[in-house]
Amino acid sequence: MKEISRDAYRAIEDIVGPEHVTDDPALLDSYAFQWLAELVRPNLSHYMPRPWAVVMPKSTEEVAAVTKVCNKYGVKVKPISTGWYHWAAPLKDDEPTVQFDMRRMNRILEIDEKNMVAVVETGVICAQLQAEVMKRGLNINIIGAGCSTSIVASASAYFGGGPSSYFLGSNSDNLLGQEWVTPAGDVIRTGSLSSGCGWFCGEGPGPSPRAITRGSLGTRGGLGVFTKCAVKLGPWEGPPVLEPKGKPPAYRLPIPESFRVYTVGTPSFEALANIYYEIYDNAIGYIFHRQFNLAGADLAAALWLTYLDPKGTMNDVETRSKDPEVGKISDEARVSFQIILQGRSTADIELQDRILDEIIRRTGCFKVERFCEQDFAEFTNMYLQRMGHKHCNFIWVGGYMGSWMQPGTPDFVKGYVKTAIDGFERDQKSGLLVECGGDAMMGCGSTLGGGGFFALEQFVSYDPNDDDSVRACIKHMEDAIEDCKKNGIPLGKEYLYLQIGWTDERIWNDLAKMPQQFVLNFQRKIKEALDPNGLGDRNYPWIPEGWGKEKPIVTAEAGKPGKSAAAR
Amino acid sequence: MALEDFRADAMRCTRCTYCRWIPFDLVKSERFAKGCPSIEAGQFHAYTAGGRLVTALSLMDGRSTVTEKVKDSVFKCTLCGQCDVSCKMCRYDMEPLAAMRELRFHLVEKGHTLPQLEPVLESLRTEFNMLQKPADERGDWAKKLKVKDLTKEKAEVVFHAGCRYSFDGDLSHVARLSVRILQEAGVDVGILGEAEHCCGGRAYGMGYKIDLMHSADHNLRTWKAAGVKTVVTPCAECFHTFKRLYAAEAGSAVEVVHMVQFVDRLVKEGKLRFTKAVPMTVTYHDPCHLGRQGEDHVPWDGVEKKIFGQAVAYDPPRPRYSGAFGVYEPPRDVLKAIPGIRLVEMERNREAAWCCGAGGGSREAYPDFSRATANERMEEAAGTGAEAIVSACPWCERNFSDAVEGGAEPMKVLDVISLVGRALGIEQEA
Ligand code: SF4
Ligand code: SF4
Repeated sequence: MKEISRDAYRAIEDIVGPEHVTDDPALLDSYAFQWLAELVRPNLSHYMPRPWAVVMPKSTEEVAAVTKVCNKYGVKVKPISTGWYHWAAPLKDDEPTVQFDMRRMNRILEIDEKNMVAVVETGVICAQLQAEVMKRGLNINIIGAGCSTSIVASASAYFGGGPSSYFLGSNSDNLLGQEWVTPAGDVIRTGSLSSGCGWFCGEGPGPSPRAITRGSLGTRGGLGVFTKCAVKLGPWEGPPVLEPKGKPPAYRLPIPESFRVYTVGTPSFEALANIYYEIYDNAIGYIFHRQFNLAGADLAAALWLTYLDPKGTMNDVETRSKDPEVGKISDEARVSFQIILQGRSTADIELQDRILDEIIRRTGCFKVERFCEQDFAEFTNMYLQRMGHKHCNFIWVGGYMGSWMQPGTPDFVKGYVKTAIDGFERDQKSGLLVECGGDAMMGCGSTLGGGGFFALEQFVSYDPNDDDSVRACIKHMEDAIEDCKKNGIPLGKEYLYLQIGWTDERIWNDLAKMPQQFVLNFQRKIKEALDPNGLGDRNYPWIPEGWGKEKPIVTAEAGKPGKSAAAR
Repeated sequence: MALEDFRADAMRCTRCTYCRWIPFDLVKSERFAKGCPSIEAGQFHAYTAGGRLVTALSLMDGRSTVTEKVKDSVFKCTLCGQCDVSCKMCRYDMEPLAAMRELRFHLVEKGHTLPQLEPVLESLRTEFNMLQKPADERGDWAKKLKVKDLTKEKAEVVFHAGCRYSFDGDLSHVARLSVRILQEAGVDVGILGEAEHCCGGRAYGMGYKIDLMHSADHNLRTWKAAGVKTVVTPCAECFHTFKRLYAAEAGSAVEVVHMVQFVDRLVKEGKLRFTKAVPMTVTYHDPCHLGRQGEDHVPWDGVEKKIFGQAVAYDPPRPRYSGAFGVYEPPRDVLKAIPGIRLVEMERNREAAWCCGAGGGSREAYPDFSRATANERMEEAAGTGAEAIVSACPWCERNFSDAVEGGAEPMKVLDVISLVGRALGIEQEA
């Protein structure tokens, strides 16, 4: 790795204060250690490349100043907010990188009740903002990854879909003004904000670089640091403060009179698509999610009924899984989803309820009785309103990798479900993945505001403490890619995850085969303009000029835009 | 146990950082969502439970060494256990609190100690208390009491005052009131005076397991000689040490009762009647060692087994200390039974209570951190509109009182037993 002058470290210390920067190896390791790292790193290491230093800025000015120092000394920049993903870390061993830990920028700057807009810094998590906006009769969409995540991150730099996206929109839809420090250290303010008109609109008057800063997938920190943003808020008819009852882990949130919480079972994925369309067409529902199958359709009932018991253990799950009565619930809930209706009045909720009943009747679906009982429904209400149990993704053994999740219309999604289930069942036979049934597919009812467009993610659980299990997960990812290719299905999340361990050249070779090359070329030009020294990482996708049209040339310079393969 | 025994916990930590926050379902505001005092002080991820698991892994694998910064990150933590509760919201295979304790043992064993702790440990080893007081003054708090001396007599119940109630003059009335209440209830109770030794729990938290073992050895032997079957203590730290640590580390089978549990029992059985009104709005602070860490000890000697191919279970089933069954209601029920008292809750209560800042050696090693942690709690308490913050642990009360003296919210700091004394009209006697 290239040597960086100590002057760079001292310059950063001068900006943020010595207590807010570290290069202590053990402290750096706590940033290098990342979920999913073992799936992409040499020797199945749990560590991504160790940052050269970690810095904790308190203000946008500090972010910009440190970024300028990085430009001067040739150090890459990589922000994290809550820090949960391998791509949140530095990506390459030979690239000294300053990791910005954004948790000190943690203020809710404004809640504009009238215009239904909140302005936050990067360190604010969804749970915090939700608690505050609910006091004002408003709500935010909390992404599928849960309420521990940063709003700025999901709105500016990643997907942004969640169970309430169906009604409240995804955070990428809801992104209004943004404040952004480019890899060159320039501060850019977008939309109406850039014209001094406030945060209310992402589309101006003023530039609207939303497509640049986030596109469809977001830049995942690959193009500088987002320091603030505004998000649209939606109506909340529930209590101003959530007052759950019961003991951990399965707190229960009482269901207000104007709410309904159901788990609806369907006879098939065909029926699931049909009922989805009906619900969407009738514009009912506040939250629409397929949550509990993350544990696998074979085991979901046993797991969640155990989870409801504060004394429950995994051994109880095993016992329950053999209980024929629980088996019946599993079968009932096999192809199910959760729906929460929110009414603005008694008449409204009763109408929605009647419409749902009629839809259920017409589509041959049914309510899953046990999951609609008060204890389970209140637990469902808590889970999906706050999204505070998303670490249950890891409940089996601490390792989970989400494959598939190609978004589209219900008809498109139902089209890949069988392949995904068959593939997972096949790969579970090794005994090296958690055997929970081929359908461990979870997904929010929409990745677009208003619904009509969703995805299902296959929850593959493996033991990160067992190399054979890790290898089995990698094999499953590779298998899933092959399954997609064989069946003409676009590649899913496993492909995105695996890419993190690849060389630039390998990624570019793949990108060169994709349609719409002009997008990648256009993005290169953006990177040239905004990141002249190549400080951002490849999470911002682009392709060197002419790549794939001639023999790829592998050089150390390839990581920098502006040095095209053709030019070299 | 050894640090290596927690390798699986570290490898399976997902860096989700739930351990930084109170259980998310319980978040009621932006201000009081945070759960971990350590990261508020240390800022970097290494100052969380998850971060310490990585530190342990990094040290075990020789990726890093123990620097001053590492020591700071390992010890600047109150061992309050909030992280443990939040982690276990979704996990059945993690023991972050136990792992953090083990990391301290490991550092201490390798000689990476904190000089600030030396005087208190010296006091423990020579004077058998953590307050650097002469051992022969330990029984002074009870000089005027007529109570059995268990070095000479026998009794089924020993009242263990603990170091702070014994030596801290502002608080020792709680010990006297407790003995008086026990006697009034007809309990065959005695004390050990000078022969009572520190429970050793605080030393254990500081990373000195051997000192806990010495304390346990002495106290258990002394109790046995006096025919003791039950120990009653008003100190949450001692309660936890006797109930959980003595049971786990020294195989103790002595029944352990906190004084508030005992009073609660008496009230519910109609054996104690409050005759005086105490008109006051109070808020109750759950001591970590009585609340989320106050669950019953369940003996376990088992191994991990895999179910469903790769999921983790234990053979036999491993006890799950998740904070669900801590001692939360008895102190509240006692307060509610006192005429005139209005109990209001802080946002973070029961298993989600913010720590007072005194635990894990923080009060002794990092006074600024300890004070800041207490200040945060006082701010939360003041926000309830209560005139007093009430607790059931002298370490919490001392830390809060010091915070008030140092300029935190000007609230009264009281013990549940003080209020019981007032309601019984016997406070002055103590
Ligand atoms: S210790 Fe638990 S809560 Fe903390 S990061 Fe690790 S898995 Fe998450
Ligand atoms: S024990 Fe308390 S202070 Fe220590 S890491 Fe856990 S939550 Fe933080």
